[in-house]
Amino acid sequence: MSVAGERHTATPSYGDVNRDVMATLRPPGNLYFAWMCIVGLLLTCFFLAWSYQIFVGMGAAGKRTPQMWAMYITTFVFWIGIGHAGTLISAVLYLFRARWRTSIYRAAEAMTIFAVMTAGLFPLIHAGRMWFAYFLLPYPNQRYLWPNFKSPLVWDVFAISTYLSISTVFFIVGLIPDIAALRDGSSGWRRRIYGMLSLGWEGSDSQWRHYRRAYGLLAAFATPLVLSVHSVVSWDFAMALVPGWHSTLFAPFFVDGAIFSGFAMVLILVLPMRHFFDLRAYVTDRHLDMMAKLILVTGLVLTYFYACELFTSWYSGEHIEKASLFWRLTSTYWWALFTMYFCNCVSPLILFWKKARTSPVILYVVSILVLIGMWFERFNIIVPSLGHDFYPYTWGIYVPTVTDSTIVIGSFAWFFLLFLGFIKVMPSLSVVEVKETLPPPMKEAAHGGHH
Amino acid sequence: MAATTETVLGVFAHVDTTVRALEELRAKGYHDLTVYTPVPVHEIEDVLERDRPVSRVRLFTLLGSLAGLAAAWILTAWTSLRWGLFVGGKPPIGLPVSPPYVVIMFEMMVLFGGIATVIGMVVLGRLPRLRTSASFDRRFTNDRFGVAVHCAPARSGSVREILRAAGAEEVRA
Amino acid sequence: MKRRDFFKIVTATGAAAAAGGCQQATETILPLVVPNEQLVPGVAAWFATVCRECPAGCGVLARNREGRVVKLEGNPDHPVNRGGLCIRGQAALQGLYHPDRVSGPQRRNGAIFTSLGWDEALKAVGERLAAARGAGKGRGVALVTQLETGSLGALMDRWTEALGARPRVTLEPFGHEAIRAASRAVFGRDAVPSYAFEDARVILNFGADWVETWINNVAFPSAFARMHAFREGRTGTYIHVEPRQSLTAANADQWVRNAPGTEAALALAVLKTLIDRGLADRAYAGVAAQIDVKKVADETGVDAQTIEGIADAFGRGKPALAIAGGAAASGSNATQVQTAVALLNAATGNVGKTVRFGADWAYGKATPYAEVAKVVQAMAAGEIEVLLLGPGVNPAFTLPGGLKAADAIKKVPFVVSFGNLPDETTTLAHLILPDTHWLESWGDYAPREGVTGLMQPAMKPIRDARPMGDVLLTVGRAVLGAEEGKGPLPWAGFEAYLRAAWEPVMKGDLAGAQRRGGVWRDVASAAVAGRPAPVEATAAKLEGDAGGYALLAYPSLRMYDGRGASRAWLQEAPDPITSVAWDAWVEIAAETATALGITRGDVVRVTSPHGAIELPAYPTPTLHPKAVAIPIGHRYARYHVPRYVGAPSTSQNPVALLPAAAEAGGGIQYLGVRVTLAKTGARRPLAVLQATFDQDHRELARHVELGTAREEALRGRTEAHEVLTMYTGQRYPGYRWGMAVDVDACVGCGACVVACIAENNVPVVGKAEAAYGRQVHWLRIERWLPDGGKPEAQNFFMPMFCQHCEVAPCEPVCPVFAAYRTEEGLNGQVYNRCVGTRYCGNNCPYHVRRFNWYNYDFPEPLEVQLNPDVTVRQLGVMEKCTMCIQRIVAGKDHAHRDEKRPVRDGDIVTACQQTCPTRAITFGNLKDDGSAVSKLQQSPRAYQVLDEIGTRPGVSYLAKVVRADGAGDGGHGAPRAGYPPAADIRPPRQGGHK
Repeated sequence: MSVAGERHTATPSYGDVNRDVMATLRPPGNLYFAWMCIVGLLLTCFFLAWSYQIFVGMGAAGKRTPQMWAMYITTFVFWIGIGHAGTLISAVLYLFRARWRTSIYRAAEAMTIFAVMTAGLFPLIHAGRMWFAYFLLPYPNQRYLWPNFKSPLVWDVFAISTYLSISTVFFIVGLIPDIAALRDGSSGWRRRIYGMLSLGWEGSDSQWRHYRRAYGLLAAFATPLVLSVHSVVSWDFAMALVPGWHSTLFAPFFVDGAIFSGFAMVLILVLPMRHFFDLRAYVTDRHLDMMAKLILVTGLVLTYFYACELFTSWYSGEHIEKASLFWRLTSTYWWALFTMYFCNCVSPLILFWKKARTSPVILYVVSILVLIGMWFERFNIIVPSLGHDFYPYTWGIYVPTVTDSTIVIGSFAWFFLLFLGFIKVMPSLSVVEVKETLPPPMKEAAHGGHH
Repeated sequence: MAATTETVLGVFAHVDTTVRALEELRAKGYHDLTVYTPVPVHEIEDVLERDRPVSRVRLFTLLGSLAGLAAAWILTAWTSLRWGLFVGGKPPIGLPVSPPYVVIMFEMMVLFGGIATVIGMVVLGRLPRLRTSASFDRRFTNDRFGVAVHCAPARSGSVREILRAAGAEEVRA
Repeated sequence: MKRRDFFKIVTATGAAAAAGGCQQATETILPLVVPNEQLVPGVAAWFATVCRECPAGCGVLARNREGRVVKLEGNPDHPVNRGGLCIRGQAALQGLYHPDRVSGPQRRNGAIFTSLGWDEALKAVGERLAAARGAGKGRGVALVTQLETGSLGALMDRWTEALGARPRVTLEPFGHEAIRAASRAVFGRDAVPSYAFEDARVILNFGADWVETWINNVAFPSAFARMHAFREGRTGTYIHVEPRQSLTAANADQWVRNAPGTEAALALAVLKTLIDRGLADRAYAGVAAQIDVKKVADETGVDAQTIEGIADAFGRGKPALAIAGGAAASGSNATQVQTAVALLNAATGNVGKTVRFGADWAYGKATPYAEVAKVVQAMAAGEIEVLLLGPGVNPAFTLPGGLKAADAIKKVPFVVSFGNLPDETTTLAHLILPDTHWLESWGDYAPREGVTGLMQPAMKPIRDARPMGDVLLTVGRAVLGAEEGKGPLPWAGFEAYLRAAWEPVMKGDLAGAQRRGGVWRDVASAAVAGRPAPVEATAAKLEGDAGGYALLAYPSLRMYDGRGASRAWLQEAPDPITSVAWDAWVEIAAETATALGITRGDVVRVTSPHGAIELPAYPTPTLHPKAVAIPIGHRYARYHVPRYVGAPSTSQNPVALLPAAAEAGGGIQYLGVRVTLAKTGARRPLAVLQATFDQDHRELARHVELGTAREEALRGRTEAHEVLTMYTGQRYPGYRWGMAVDVDACVGCGACVVACIAENNVPVVGKAEAAYGRQVHWLRIERWLPDGGKPEAQNFFMPMFCQHCEVAPCEPVCPVFAAYRTEEGLNGQVYNRCVGTRYCGNNCPYHVRRFNWYNYDFPEPLEVQLNPDVTVRQLGVMEKCTMCIQRIVAGKDHAHRDEKRPVRDGDIVTACQQTCPTRAITFGNLKDDGSAVSKLQQSPRAYQVLDEIGTRPGVSYLAKVVRADGAGDGGHGAPRAGYPPAADIRPPRQGGHK
């Protein structure tokens, strides 16, 4: 990294970009492998726990009447939410021509895909008979059995599979020219592999014009998609009767929360990359500042939504709704609620302070708090609401077990395994788009670029 | 092949020199050009796109989306009518479409549209190919610009001349 | 078609099917009325027999499929239970298929039992008996059995006589001796009379737990419903006096909480008030002369005004009925209490009207407790050489600790038990000769005069067992050295003996009698004259620490005297009052608990002079502060531990704390000691299934005041508000099934819960799982308190099950149509299609959907009981009430195919409806305006639970009719009281969202 180390501030040239990106793919050091070991270990526990649960049944997880849903759905929604920042950065900011996105969007997109892949596990883990989960797909069969398209869960299937496919396509399309660059920068078997993956990209004018058109169109698609996906997820709850779920507020509320937690996750991933790959030249303080601002804004919006949620259920005058709210605030799970309020409403406020917005340490801490807060937000929506709903006979308290806790923690291992793997085989920094932001090399025009 | 046309390649380090070469060539009536750039550059595009139609990728997108929309409508309507089940006091389908099915239709529109777009890009961009074309140079994905002129062997001399004059670092057949 | 005819047909065909199930046994298990050529496999056979789970002797029909009994139902023709069956009767199948059931004779060496052949075993018994006789110790042979009033009893007596053994002892822990004593004193008859609830307008009850166990807990609730359930403005009044709010008390219009043991004084005070007001026969003035109502008020803690209120109500209700019983009235003064009550009836002219001698209950034939105690003392003294214990008796468990029965039995050199389930007594036996289960046996039983129920084997014995009668005959002849056909015991076997005994009674129509389930004749009620027998109003004397708490050891609805406890179904069906499943508990008054710092689940050491037991505490606001209460009969079967429950730290049996008190007469004193309480510091959380009894203003169980109910009954239903919807409603081409539940009739006995379990193959999940909200019961009994009401106020019992909503929240959320709406208005659930997302479970506002958290197994041989018409659900699927879809299908087939007509009321009867003693549940076709269920759903009292959500359930509930503030105005309820003053006419509570 030394080469880049000397010129943090200087604007890199096209050549530097290629070199620095190639550098991120150098064989990893011990620290990397240490991380991989931890991740691998957790992942093993994850699969053991899951196998056990499949074997003995859902009883292994702490679910019960009335909390037929609990931590699995919580974590599912959490991961889906994480994904959103990626698409937002890569698509929405692309359409808005926000040039600062270029140096982080690749990592963010990868995050999106891996987050959705992680989330996708949970409906399976959660289903009482996961071996029949394919019943939810509209596949032709001789008995003409079809899914119920009225069910929000089927909407989920469609929304999330679409989301995964489109994000992946978007991601791959973005990668093609970069892989071509890697191909030309490497030799031997790597070159052959990259050669295949790059589809023989050459960067000829005709390729570029179709490419740019296609990319724009995909971005235009991804934007409404990202909004729809979390709305659909939120309708899993809003479409149900459960007091505390049955609210039209949920769609925007969830989307905002998703972006909020997504950016936190982006920071959690990008800050270390910036440090270890020494990408300060590309991920500058300006980038951090931008993301911090986005976290701050979405955090404030989220706070507003919390206020609305409380107010509407109080103002509704609906006895059961109010009882549910009061119980959430005062009873067994009050701590979870207030953890959420602190993490999501209070902790981001520090980002009003400019220094904090550019301080990696503070950003990192805030991001972690935000992730915790957002996990608890989903927990607070699901578990306490169900615990104190319409029917007093069955009111009850959900208690997690080793099994479901292990699976929830293990899902993070699964996510990081994918991500750590990715940054060592693919350019986690977009060669092409970074170059686009640099001043093109000119002979006559004066510029500080090439020397 | 080689007998009829010959390809002359000029490698440039700078955008402005490349643009100059392109202007020159076009002025001399050379239109069969392939330009290689590490990134899409406006200056170069401006020269090339002048007399070209907009990429037809968007056509793929449109058709794909409509196909998705239709497919979703047929799927939801047909399956629910096939069973005719009441759930939650709601009839199998409301016409023209039950509100819940709009979600499915939207998602499938996006899915089909997106995939069609990529197919469009791949097809129109002549991808994928197993090996790169003769005139391609691996520097073109790094920091060099290339202009490949396809012309009759007889005229290659003048083409080389133009490219050199424009400030190509290197010119080869 | 009438049930009876239906039953005739299927008996004929299906009995043969039973034969198909077990060929070689055909001749021995089928009544010979069934010709073998009528074999139709797959058709159910119904056998009429008599339930022997307790001495009540209800008639049951056993449903036999392929040779195995899969379900029990009350026999509609039987005059005692009229088709109803109680929670214990429904669970009897688990005794039949009990995993612990003894197979073949067992001999005990040390603590281990080893099996041996029947011949060897019988030889051993014979030798022992012969030896005893030889040694001139014939009197040293004692035969102890449960109440056997029929031929078996006669045979046993003949047997003891022939062998010169002691007279047989029939041991019934709840023998109602005090009633007999009182009847002797007041009416000069040693009998337990029949009480005509249905003819009474006011019932005054001193503690008799007729919903749980008292005399017959099917007949009385059924009669009570006819007397008390609101019908066209008519209803009776029920006043209950007891220190504890038992299930029976919870059904009272007015529950009066008296100090433990003061019933006699209270009853006499009422009598005195009646006489003073000229509401009673002055001839009885003398007996209550010395009573000072003020003093009684102080002593009993029931204020004078209330006493007068009771007297007023009782006096004005003509005819009225006073009864007494239960733990509270079983103290040392039990006889006085019953005498005072008898005097009340006599003085108000209820005798012959609501109290009838003649058709007396069989309890009158039980051996007085004092006699039993003598035998036990004889054992202790070593006077007993051979002790024969019939099935169903468990002296080591059911006799008071003070009597030290177990030690006494240990002193007996040779103990033979005929029990077919291991219990505290069989483990002391030297030899076990397992009797056949009553469902596998011939026999007869007369629960009361004029009713003789016939028992016939409904199936072949599932384990190697022999009828006790056969064994007695064989052994008896061996001992007497007589061969078959000779001597006092000539019969080849018990069946032969029975036929001989039945011949004169049946007059050739044995087959008919067996189809009906027995022979019954009306018994003219004997003309008896009461006499003012002197009685003093002493309070019950209690042993033990004067500072302690009076211990009420009360018979449990589910366990009876412990016979029910080995049935996992009963263990898991929660106690209706406390909602506790599996474990036993000690009820402690809330005040006491606070004072001692005891909270629910704290293990408390309860110490009496006769022993100590440790049980988890259950503080309750209703119990009298001077008392603690523990249910009798809690114990676990071997296979329950550890499968379903961790082993309890100590015995759960409160009877061990009771005094011997043999000399007192009046039976075992279930109120006989004061106990001290001590926290052990340990905790044993109770499995309390109902999270709260407070309905939090949600109007789940609604009630309407009597005046209003009468107004509405006249005016008819006020128009229901229009349902707004953007959807075209569903059309029902054929039927639309629905149900109606009358909360006013439901007494919360829980029979429907177990009936549903038995019918629908509902698994048992065990204590921990049940406590964690994972019980799989499709039907639950809920107990609710009125909003803002005092805890001791009116209780509402509500069976809650799938409401089969028209706008069902569970359906649209199911991604695979596993939950959907059938064309007949049912809320279908397709197990094979269910993926187990549990979304429906969340979205069901009633939380009546149950999930299979594990693969629940049915320990061998319980799987034999599974209903072949109902799927056994797999791990990971949702399930719930189907309105007994299998019965609906069968009923439709029968009506359409066999009778070529549409289904009518009575063709289809759900399991819960069938067993309900009070007929609180009605099922039927809502499209037929003439059907009972349609009429009920149109009733002014009809409402739908949580209707404000708009789920439009197919099940309606009928609001409970309450007296204004429950208390004081007993007379109100009496039909002749007419409409209450306008002030009392208020609209039914709309307290919902105030």
